[in-house]
Amino acid sequence: MTRFYKLSLTLLFLWCSVGWAWAQYTVSGTVKDERNGDPLIGASLLVKGTTTGAVTDLDGNFTINIPTNEGATLVVSSIGYLSKEVEVSSSLSNIDITLREDATNLDEVVVTGLASSVKRSNLANAVSTVSAKDLTGTTTIQTTDGALYGKVAGATIRSNGGAPGGGMSIQLRGISTLTGASQPLIIVDGVYISNATQRTGRATVSGAGGSNQDDGANRLADLNPADIETIEVLKGPSAAAIYGTRANAGVIIITTKRGAEGRTTVSLSQDIGFAQPLRLLGTDDWSEEKINFFFPEARRPIELERFRAAQASGNFIDYEDYFYNNQATLLNTRINVSGGNDKTKFFVSGNISDEEGTVRNTGFKRYSVRANIDHKISNKIRFGVSSNYIQTDADRGFTGNQNNSGASIGYSIAYVPNYFDLRRNEDGTYPTNPYFSENPVAVTDNGINNAQVNRFIQAFTLDIDLLQTSNSFLKASFSGGLDFLQNRTMVYLPEFLQFQRAQANPGDLLKGKQESFNTNFQAALVYNWNLGRVNMNSQAGLVRLDFNENALFNRGRGLVPGQTNLLQAAIQQINQEFISEVQEAGVFLQQEANFEDKIIGTVGIRWDKSTLNGDPNQFYSFPRASVAINLANFDFWNSSFINQLKPRIAYGETAGPVTFGATFTPLNGANIGGLLGSVVSTQVGNTSIRPETATELEFGVDASFFNNRLSLEATYYVKNSQNNFQNLNLSPSTGVNTTPSNEAELQNKGVEIGLSGTILEKSNVRWFSRILYWKNEIEMTRLGIPVYTAGAFGAGLGTFLYAEGFSPTTIVGTPADPDTPGGFTIWGNSQPDFNLSFFNSINLFKGLELSVLVDWRKGGDNINLTSFLTDGGGTTNGWFDDDNGDGIPNGRQREPEPYNNAARWVQDASFVKIREIGLYYTIPRATINDWFGNAVQNIRVGSSVNNAFLFTDYEGYDPETSTFGAQAVANNVDIAPYPTPRRVFFHLTIDF
Amino acid sequence: MKNTLKNISKAIAIAGTLVACNPFQLDEIQDPNNPSVGSVSNNASREQIQFLITGLESRHRGYVTNVSQAWNTFGREIWYLNASDPRFQTDWLGQNGRTPDRSYFGFGNTGGGSWAAPYQAIKQADVLIAAAENTENIQAPARSAVTGFAKTIQGYQFMIPANFVYENGIRIDVADPLNPGPFVPYSDALDAIKAILDEGDAALQAAGSGAFPFTLTRGFDGYNTTEGLRQVNRAITARLNAYRQDWQGVLSALDASFMDLGGDLNAGPSHPYGASPDIFNPLFYVPNAAVNTIVVVHPSVLEDATPGDLRVENKFLERDQPVIVTTDAGALEGTHQDARWESNTESIPFIRNEELILLKAEAHANLNQTDEAVEAINIIRNAAGLGDYEGATSQDALIDEILYQRRYSLWAEPWGHRWIDARRYGRLDEIPTSFDGGTIFQQFPHPQAELSWDEYVGN
Repeated sequence: MTRFYKLSLTLLFLWCSVGWAWAQYTVSGTVKDERNGDPLIGASLLVKGTTTGAVTDLDGNFTINIPTNEGATLVVSSIGYLSKEVEVSSSLSNIDITLREDATNLDEVVVTGLASSVKRSNLANAVSTVSAKDLTGTTTIQTTDGALYGKVAGATIRSNGGAPGGGMSIQLRGISTLTGASQPLIIVDGVYISNATQRTGRATVSGAGGSNQDDGANRLADLNPADIETIEVLKGPSAAAIYGTRANAGVIIITTKRGAEGRTTVSLSQDIGFAQPLRLLGTDDWSEEKINFFFPEARRPIELERFRAAQASGNFIDYEDYFYNNQATLLNTRINVSGGNDKTKFFVSGNISDEEGTVRNTGFKRYSVRANIDHKISNKIRFGVSSNYIQTDADRGFTGNQNNSGASIGYSIAYVPNYFDLRRNEDGTYPTNPYFSENPVAVTDNGINNAQVNRFIQAFTLDIDLLQTSNSFLKASFSGGLDFLQNRTMVYLPEFLQFQRAQANPGDLLKGKQESFNTNFQAALVYNWNLGRVNMNSQAGLVRLDFNENALFNRGRGLVPGQTNLLQAAIQQINQEFISEVQEAGVFLQQEANFEDKIIGTVGIRWDKSTLNGDPNQFYSFPRASVAINLANFDFWNSSFINQLKPRIAYGETAGPVTFGATFTPLNGANIGGLLGSVVSTQVGNTSIRPETATELEFGVDASFFNNRLSLEATYYVKNSQNNFQNLNLSPSTGVNTTPSNEAELQNKGVEIGLSGTILEKSNVRWFSRILYWKNEIEMTRLGIPVYTAGAFGAGLGTFLYAEGFSPTTIVGTPADPDTPGGFTIWGNSQPDFNLSFFNSINLFKGLELSVLVDWRKGGDNINLTSFLTDGGGTTNGWFDDDNGDGIPNGRQREPEPYNNAARWVQDASFVKIREIGLYYTIPRATINDWFGNAVQNIRVGSSVNNAFLFTDYEGYDPETSTFGAQAVANNVDIAPYPTPRRVFFHLTIDF
Repeated sequence: MKNTLKNISKAIAIAGTLVACNPFQLDEIQDPNNPSVGSVSNNASREQIQFLITGLESRHRGYVTNVSQAWNTFGREIWYLNASDPRFQTDWLGQNGRTPDRSYFGFGNTGGGSWAAPYQAIKQADVLIAAAENTENIQAPARSAVTGFAKTIQGYQFMIPANFVYENGIRIDVADPLNPGPFVPYSDALDAIKAILDEGDAALQAAGSGAFPFTLTRGFDGYNTTEGLRQVNRAITARLNAYRQDWQGVLSALDASFMDLGGDLNAGPSHPYGASPDIFNPLFYVPNAAVNTIVVVHPSVLEDATPGDLRVENKFLERDQPVIVTTDAGALEGTHQDARWESNTESIPFIRNEELILLKAEAHANLNQTDEAVEAINIIRNAAGLGDYEGATSQDALIDEILYQRRYSLWAEPWGHRWIDARRYGRLDEIPTSFDGGTIFQQFPHPQAELSWDEYVGN
């Protein structure tokens, strides 16, 4: 961040430089926090109009050479503080500077374009910025997306389940596509990284179905959140237009930490913690009466016998507790070394995360090393590299959907009464489960569901100053990088398992190897010049993107005991081989005009072409335009109450890429009787398919009050998408089923409001508070093809309606309702009414800091099929109660009347979560000096909780759940998920 | 200034490099995973024709799983017990008054294995015929043989959607995906299928005699000559003619078929299955496996069985532990499983000599040729270890007897014989629902996707 800040200052003021003078003098002093007098470490000072600067050391001290004899202006800045200009002269060479904490971040620099950045106070879009402190300052969260909860207005973040190692979805401003996951583009230090949720094969082995039921992690999970300096979220086309074809669902720009000039700092952090389930539901007890009701007559004697035996021995087992309620150890170790001098700066980090899951034999390990290096080759050529190698290893266990195989804990135990003991026999064998096809204890003990990722992300930047005149500046900027991702997966169910023994070839092993290799390259010319009193910034550039993926899955059945080599299988099968290759190119032009920070306007355009499109040589254009007016910067403004008032408006267009293969009509391979056949695919390619496009108009107002103590950011947007993909159902009697179409149109409208401020600011207490509110409404404004229902498990269990005038998140189901398009009754909507997050941070005395983040989601329905399963098995808590007293137990007669239609599973998923609580203490410098002398610079200890409390009426482990993983629609189906953990940590950070 | 010049020249050098590897140049990306359908439309090689023929055999078995599980449940030959998804019970048995809708469970919007899959086989045959006709790489007799084989399979496949939706009728003109023809009534559809089968027979005849010029899987062992395929064609035609109630036509088709009154009742072409990369026989279940997903014999089949019937002994295995599946409509208990398959690699016949003999009996009975009918019935009875037929010989009595024998001889074959038989003799009400409290369906509506398409083009 500092680097960008300084760079932009340089850009702004460089033309003021008027030759060199040999005379010079030195200014020294300290920079401190205005409120509590703490020294500010790493604050930067820049002699205005030059590139000369300095950085404060650990005591807040600085020394700076002023290259002239004349008076000069120092621009003093530090992240999180309002920057300040201080006059110095040869006679005033020793000064103490104080900076005030910034509640509004107006000075923060936001990366908005492909080659430019702008000060927040001049921004015409509602770009959310999440700093390292916001992201990971309160508690330690496994994945970056998990750490964004409640920190970005307009971002609906959902966890798919509680399995260790991630699995999240982020939707910015509603949904922009009907067919994909509607996930934002993620760019890390300029590299387009893969955030794919890759196949693990679990759903194949468990019989659940397609790979979207694997409960795999999205690969943002690989990135170590502690390496991140800032995250900027461009929420919609108006802000993201310059990113073109891949920006329909927004863009998340991640910038990692970089070295700063000054003393080398070694920082060591250790977290120790534990996890336990956030919420369990309990299971229903049994009675002889219930057994006689539940089981068919022939079965009753044995069930009664088992029940009585359990009663006699008192051996009842709460399986929920047995499987899910295990305390898991969480260990995180991080080490950072950073520093540098005028020419070279570096940030090197290492991270080991080793976190167990609350289900036995599950866990997540991540090893990450990073080296970010910046070097000035000359005064005019700057070069930077960011290298990150990551290995992650996730064991995610067996939960979620299954068919027949019983390879899901929750699915299996839904059917097992608590008087039957499934636990391992003393001889090491497992009891046969008479209630389902598998003993889940044996699966948990012996099954493997592992994904091991090796990943290398490399970024580079090269900036060359080509031309400097007194009032203009020309720079060439090159950047790019690569993301290589290899994911090895293994799903293994050994031959002695109950279900496997029942197969012709017992034992099932599915191994996958997936690789993706993405490269991107960008070149831009940036010209900064003045047109009268207007500062102009002109950019032109080109972008090249290449995405290559391949996947190979092999399956073995009929296994030699204990062996997990595919050659030890009687039946060896190539389960899948898939290759995809995509090439894209784009050109962009952007013009920014800044009239004395009073009126800031931007126009830009991007043209993109892609091999995914029906016509790979056609360029699609994506224009943008925006204007912001800083009323408070005009001379007529003299309100002491409102010190910033900025109305703003922005418009932009983006697109979503065509799915790979949409243009192909293939002949698929089919083996039969020892011969290979070619069969005509049921999908007909659409050779005129084009990207789905979106236009967005956003306007709002930003205001600051009471000298920046309170700030308000309010935004309204209308995002219209056109040419949305959906499959046109062909007449299946012609032997083909679908062809991709560009017919649908969607509208998302919403409001985002952020209010933050410092409520209390005294020398020994500071209380900062932030409220974010956002809501989004979706409507299918055009369907273009006949009304249909799709998603989840059909009308009987709740599915989704695709019809004009409705949101595709509308949940419909049985019974039939001829008055509704599609013919089924409307039972709910998965889109929340609104989200609200409330963050408070209180600094007490010297060094004590308490922060709490509360996340509230109001409305939005889930399809709770976990209840469907436990009702089928008689194990739902309260199953045998009879609330309406008609003699039929609740478990057989769910509301609403007429009973047992789809509505019984559609449940309100509103919740309030205490998402993060952190309490930290920074040991006073004097104490540290007493203990360690100068060897240790800083010690911080603390404790935190992630997912501390959940308040909800929803009848599930967590209202946030998705058995289908990240997808635009039907991302709210609850099937026997891995329960969400509550994570409790103790932290220690030592800086040397 | 010197530096600036240096830097500019560096930038030019870099720009030059960029132009050399033009970043705007996109390669033409072909499908890296599959050949295209277009690749066979013009002057296909002999190998490509062979791949399409094998592909047709693959598509030809696409219906087996769904039709076996569902239609045999509709006719209460079996229950498909599935604890993982109660809808295989509640919906397929029509429990609590459920009746099929346009996107019924197990069939989806496209009708799945009972509609889309057979039409995919028909499409595959069309593509094959077109490929054969548009190539110089094979000779006229081979072209004719390919057409004959393709049309024979088409005739078989068309009967599946026709019987699925019955009185609602099917599309016959389906060659153009963007211009499908109208739905024609059941009887018209059957007549059209007859024409397709006759064309197939004629084309095979035109191909001359001898080995079929392409390789067929072992499913056609014994029939992989033009003569053998004509016999298969005529066997399928005999089944069709019974549905058309063209009893004389049944007999004449049987005469040209592979029917052998003294021969192996199991003789006939089949769908091969096997280990990977093939797929396993979907009807095979390990004996006495501790699973809760399994096809079990419907209790009425056990209850109505004649003591000593070898078919009961050979086809059903009484399990050590019954399989019980509980749903919100109550519990179903299966005591016997399917014992027809030795292993999961065994082929599944799609038309057998036993059925042909039963068709002969049925045709004679309907033509009031009592003696011939009884004679054929006795072949079946004797093979099952039952004595000669001694019941009444009125037409009704004989039909009763033939339908009873068909229940055991053709039990749970991938066709849903009992459901179709009961319907064509107006006896759906004789199928018992007392064991599951369900409903006997007459037919399915057209799948939603067909309606949607008509709506789409109507717009």
